Amino acid sequence: MSTNQHVPAPPVQSRRSLWTTRIIGITALVATAFTVWLGLWVTPPDQVQGNLVRLVYIHPGVAWVALYLAFGLAALASVLYLWPRTRSLYWDRLAAAAVEVGVVFNVCTLISGSIWGKPTWGVWWAWDARLTSTAVLLVLFLGYLALRRVPAEPEVRAKRSAFVALFAAVDIPIVHFSVLWWKTLHQGATVLNANLSPTIHGSMAWTLLLGFIALTLVFVWMLLVRYRIGVLEDWLGTGELDVALRERQAEGASLDDDEAAA
Amino acid sequence: MGYVQAGYSIVLGILFLYGLQLVWRRRRLNRSVARVVASDAGAVGLTVDTSGAARHADAPGVGRPPGDR
Repeated sequence: MSTNQHVPAPPVQSRRSLWTTRIIGITALVATAFTVWLGLWVTPPDQVQGNLVRLVYIHPGVAWVALYLAFGLAALASVLYLWPRTRSLYWDRLAAAAVEVGVVFNVCTLISGSIWGKPTWGVWWAWDARLTSTAVLLVLFLGYLALRRVPAEPEVRAKRSAFVALFAAVDIPIVHFSVLWWKTLHQGATVLNANLSPTIHGSMAWTLLLGFIALTLVFVWMLLVRYRIGVLEDWLGTGELDVALRERQAEGASLDDDEAAA
Repeated sequence: MGYVQAGYSIVLGILFLYGLQLVWRRRRLNRSVARVVASDAGAVGLTVDTSGAARHADAPGVGRPPGDR
């Protein structure tokens, strides 16, 4: 007896793809270690901020990944899913992976910003335009992740998730321009400013750049692994319960065959 | 310097733990897929090797289990 006539072939990951993921992961680890070493021990303290300036090597980096890479990619993938010519569950899976990783980086952005804010502004949190819009962005994308857990057909889930992602992405330019549109405690852009002339130089600039590259690599590695998880979950079923059911069904089928053979 | 150390520790700690959780989730799902494939292969009377990969290439739902090993 065969119980798996309609089961598609399991998702096989090529050796090349596996090695690419591993190499990106190792490179990300080494680049992050270098950033920490340069940031904490090699670069000089700032004239105004002293040692606190060392937070600049991670805080803008995690913000860059969360806001522009992760949520930007999720918005782009959602558009590509909603566009009839490019509609594929591939884009939905990519958006879901990008949002989950983006939420983690967004949390890191808020925490590192808060830790920087306490000694410079005297408070852990202020209802400043930049901080508030970033927190709103986190809440919106947490809502996106919650919506994905509502049981539905994959296409239905993908469509409504894509709309929510696009709605949430409206907040990205608000976060970016908040320091220009409103009077904020948060400083203006150091690198991506209006003149595109960074206001940081020397070893500090290089370490900042390395921090951006390292955290981008960390994001790419996490995105690849999270995407793979999505592929495996889709093959097994959409949720934990489906996975368990598939396994039990398969075990039950083999037991039936054993009894029939006996 | 305490704030700086706290910032680095917390951010890198969160990223490390999330990365670890991703690897664990992927491994668990890979095992589940391999188990399902092995059981399905058993149900159609195929020979299954210890890694869960069936030897009968044409059987439905049978193939090399996903990587991660």
